[in-house]
Amino acid sequence: MIDPSRDLRDACAIVGAGHSRLGRVPSVSSLDLLVEAMRNAITDSGMSVQDIDGIVCRGPDDIYSHHQQIGARLGINVKFSTSLDNGGASQILAVAIAAMAIKAGMATTVICGYGRDSWSRTHSSEEARVKNQTTPDDQLPKEFAPEYGYFGAVAAHAFGATRHMHLYGTTREQFGAIAVACREHALRNPDAQMKKPLNMAQYHEAPQIVAPFGLYDCSLRSDGAGAVIVTSRERARDLKQPPVLIKGFGSYNNLRGWFADDNMVTTAAKKSGEIAYGMAGLGPDDVDCAQIYDCFTYMVLTQLEDYGFCKKGEGGDFVASGALRMGGRLPTNTSGGQLSEAHVEGMLQVVEGARQMRHTYPAERQVKDAEIALVSGHGGNQVCHSTLILGRA
Amino acid sequence: MNEPARAKAAKPLPKPAPESVPYWEAAKQHRLELPKCNACGKFWFPPSQSCPHCLAADFAFTPVSGRGKVFSFVTFHRVYHPAFAGEVPYVVALVELDEGPRLLSNVVGVTPDKVTCEMPVQVVFDDVAADVAVPKFKPV
Repeated sequence: MIDPSRDLRDACAIVGAGHSRLGRVPSVSSLDLLVEAMRNAITDSGMSVQDIDGIVCRGPDDIYSHHQQIGARLGINVKFSTSLDNGGASQILAVAIAAMAIKAGMATTVICGYGRDSWSRTHSSEEARVKNQTTPDDQLPKEFAPEYGYFGAVAAHAFGATRHMHLYGTTREQFGAIAVACREHALRNPDAQMKKPLNMAQYHEAPQIVAPFGLYDCSLRSDGAGAVIVTSRERARDLKQPPVLIKGFGSYNNLRGWFADDNMVTTAAKKSGEIAYGMAGLGPDDVDCAQIYDCFTYMVLTQLEDYGFCKKGEGGDFVASGALRMGGRLPTNTSGGQLSEAHVEGMLQVVEGARQMRHTYPAERQVKDAEIALVSGHGGNQVCHSTLILGRA
Repeated sequence: MNEPARAKAAKPLPKPAPESVPYWEAAKQHRLELPKCNACGKFWFPPSQSCPHCLAADFAFTPVSGRGKVFSFVTFHRVYHPAFAGEVPYVVALVELDEGPRLLSNVVGVTPDKVTCEMPVQVVFDDVAADVAVPKFKPV
């Protein structure tokens, strides 16, 4: 029987990380964006594509047998290969499955990644722009939603924000602090989609989308991809980059539903985080920077509570204190996050968590002396969650 | 507006899954009926062929009070579907029925700024087509 803290903690490392062009990348498919990110990750690692013997990825919803198509474009056969179906929680789950497959001897070096063409897809026509929908029509609800004018992920997450505001007095000003911090970080990232500053007055003046969310509570529609390469700690020692240890991972899935129980206020991040902390032998006080799945501002706030960085209900005060900014208690989404860098369903958060652990950034982008990074993934129908804890070797 | 665009602008009607046909048949008669388990006595929603509380498959669609309270809600300002262009801002709420299940619906008969969590509401039926009525809720 495997003991996660003995057998999986520090067993594997991320040895390569890459991203594609981000933002508006017309005329490039999601598959080719992902291959672009994977090529960059392979180059970054100093390895050859022939060293890869595993692929774990999550395809966009409209692409069947995604990992097979990626392998074909990379031109390789591999031992271990599969695609995942946990929405934004898939990307960390891919890294976790890679580590488990390596530990089990199913593969030695696994590439994980995700790519999407959400900007192009939602700007291909006026109808596509109005629907603002990346999910294929046949996967949308056919009853108990459209007849009420209930559409999209903004509204789904806004339900949680309303409930949190009701229970704890959380304010839009506090959500705004998250949007502003992410934008500050994006301005230091030359590849980020958003290039202009954002202040609190602009946050409040922006149009409402689905209240309580306004424009800047919502993450971006992006074309883009990210990828990382996972191998054993032993192999990592001989490679080009400083290895980034996978100290812990976890997942939890509130499959009873976002609308069930208290799931929209206490998310699956709580139990996913407990599992990951347990494997890593660490707690929230040990974490130096966080890359939190920020599909919407509120989701950062509630996950920070669920991960124990503050108590449930105190997330508003925590984020408004400046904790998320560089130099704050917990610099968060340090590349700009999905709110301001690009929304690649959490994959860029994995990439950024790994890069922060290498200490190769210029000083303005590096979280000083950071030894531990926590990365979160959230998705599906708001109920799937995954956690990754990374550390310097 | 040309004819295809006009046709597209009709509000979507529910397309019932096989297991929710009795729910919509009752709604057409202005009755709110949910599956109730004959083994454990609990209601559930959305309809399915076995009880998510105890997994028994012995159940009957049973009338509920139609009373409940707003668990949470959102207000649509953006138009995601052309048929709702004249409706914004409108409220979509999660209503927790006195019997337990939570239903997604609209809160009507009140301006969005007056809707609150825990607000008591009562079902009303909106005859959206000749043979389709949609349960909505109004403040008590």
